[in-house]
Amino acid sequence: MSATVAAGTSWPTERIRRLRGYAAAFGRVALIAVTVFLFATVLTFGLGALSGANPAAAVLGETATPEDIARMNHQFGLDLPLWQQYLNWLGNALQGDLGVSWFTTVPVTDSIRAALPVDLSIAGLALLLAVVFGVTGGVAAALSNGGVVDRTVTLLCSIVATMPPFVIGIGLIVLFSVQLEWLPSGGYVPISQSPVEWLRFAILPALALSVDAAGGLARQLRTSLVGALRENYATGAEMRGFSRRRVLFGHVLRNASGPALAVLGLAVPTIIGGAVIAEKLFNLPGIAQLALQSAEQGDVPVILGTLLVTVIVVLIASTVVNVIQTALNPVARRPRNPQGGTS
Amino acid sequence: MNTLRLAWRDPAGKASMIVLAGILFLVFFGSMLAPHDPLAQDPANMLQNPSAEHWLGTDYLGRDVLSRLMAGTRISVLGAVEAVLTAMLIGILPGLASVWLGPKFEWFSLRVTDTLMVVPFTVFAIAVVGTLGNGLHQSMIAIGILMSPLYFRVTRAVTMGLRQQQYVEAAELMGASQWWILRKHIWSKVLPTLAVTTAQALGTALLVMASLTFLGLGVTPPAPTWGGMLASDLAYLTQQPWAPLFPGLMIMLTVGSLNLLADVVRDATPDGVRRSWRRRLTSPSAGPITALPTVIEPEKERADARVPAA
Repeated sequence: MSATVAAGTSWPTERIRRLRGYAAAFGRVALIAVTVFLFATVLTFGLGALSGANPAAAVLGETATPEDIARMNHQFGLDLPLWQQYLNWLGNALQGDLGVSWFTTVPVTDSIRAALPVDLSIAGLALLLAVVFGVTGGVAAALSNGGVVDRTVTLLCSIVATMPPFVIGIGLIVLFSVQLEWLPSGGYVPISQSPVEWLRFAILPALALSVDAAGGLARQLRTSLVGALRENYATGAEMRGFSRRRVLFGHVLRNASGPALAVLGLAVPTIIGGAVIAEKLFNLPGIAQLALQSAEQGDVPVILGTLLVTVIVVLIASTVVNVIQTALNPVARRPRNPQGGTS
Repeated sequence: MNTLRLAWRDPAGKASMIVLAGILFLVFFGSMLAPHDPLAQDPANMLQNPSAEHWLGTDYLGRDVLSRLMAGTRISVLGAVEAVLTAMLIGILPGLASVWLGPKFEWFSLRVTDTLMVVPFTVFAIAVVGTLGNGLHQSMIAIGILMSPLYFRVTRAVTMGLRQQQYVEAAELMGASQWWILRKHIWSKVLPTLAVTTAQALGTALLVMASLTFLGLGVTPPAPTWGGMLASDLAYLTQQPWAPLFPGLMIMLTVGSLNLLADVVRDATPDGVRRSWRRRLTSPSAGPITALPTVIEPEKERADARVPAA
């Protein structure tokens, strides 16, 4: 980055300043992401350490001799001091090694790799549906500000906010699988095998997961759009003869999308967490089934692995949202010291 | 208390408070008033439709659905209350402190909040139950910890706004201690906002609680819970497609009343807006009634806070 800036000293200073603003803003986003990742690993590892569970007691049972236990503890590195265990665990995790299951000795990474695409594909579809429904609803409501469409959308959002996603999911099963018999009520086909079949199995869980986020998004978008349409620049554009629609899409939407993006960013953990419920509801072979099974057995490496991986997925998604927000919002990338401001 | 009295004057506020009082009544007396034993199985009367004997029908073991709903209220609601109390306990003080204790603590506490906000509720609850043992307290305290950023952020935002007020600055200049300012000027102003947050947080916690019991976490099966009832109804959808309606309605009614109350309390100032039912449902006031408040970006916050000093 510094090379770009140095090479460009002959550029207009305005441009350099803007580039520096971008670099600093994205640097801040990256710093936050790295810190949050480290805190998350501490939280995850701490949970395992706090449990005090050890594989010897869990696997060998009560007949284990002290020598057996010592040997097993040594095998899993549990005889080291805690901070050293953490560093080992973190080092391995960074290389994609989350240890092996205490019970089956299958590498945790392999089990997760098999299960994760299920959740990712369904959560991704849910996010897409949420954006489509949320933006359509929010924009339609804002365009008809105070009208019938506006009130219907807002009422729907109010109702949806009171329903847990699995209630919506049950409703969808009752409607589409039990009554209409259009779609399967559970099961899964990988997207790589047959995208069409995948869609048939994935659409109901994704719909159930998307509703909550779509409601929040529509409501936030409506509020900020209505607010932004009242601003002077929007009125000005309208006075100059642009249609309301043109003002909305051309001028206002970009400015109003910041808070809506923030809502979307917050919806990601809800959607990923909701995928857990959807897995149980629609009987999907995803990461939650893995987590639930290992939680029942007390298979700590698998539990910690699933937790860490889901947190990383959410962290990546929210960092992406942060980056988009930074790119869209000039205020967010303005340098911290006021004299560096572009205005 | 004053805020609640004002909220009572609003028809929507009154209705939601009556519903919530009813739920609270069920929390304490639900299992006593239940017409049948919520655990008594009756193999001869499985999956019955509603009748005079069983008003809401029976489930797959012949247990009375109404009794299970009434008795299940206690665990479902108290679990949510426990989570919210934990969140308050952990969130409020650091929220206040982050405004006062300097930039290092501020940065650290903001990153801790960021971390807690990227951990999904259900996955964390599964992990906690898996490592620390399956129990209601473990899972609800875990949820409380994850919900604490809500209190942290709200407290922090309000406090930061108040700190710029001239009367606070004046008190500071006159040599008032920080503790005194907190108690005298800040706390009473933070409370109403916290009341709104608590209503929303309870709603969220109830939904999460329902999700967890649906997964079989925290509460072991024979004990009735709303989420657990939904889970067992799921296997018999072909015979009883309407069965999930009742526990689902209980959840919606409670969460809806809490959201509505939050909205009313937010407006309840002595000269505040008074709006009709329909308007409240179709065009809510100030902010969205989403589970979490609009995110306050740390950068923006800091920019706002910097203004008076510059």
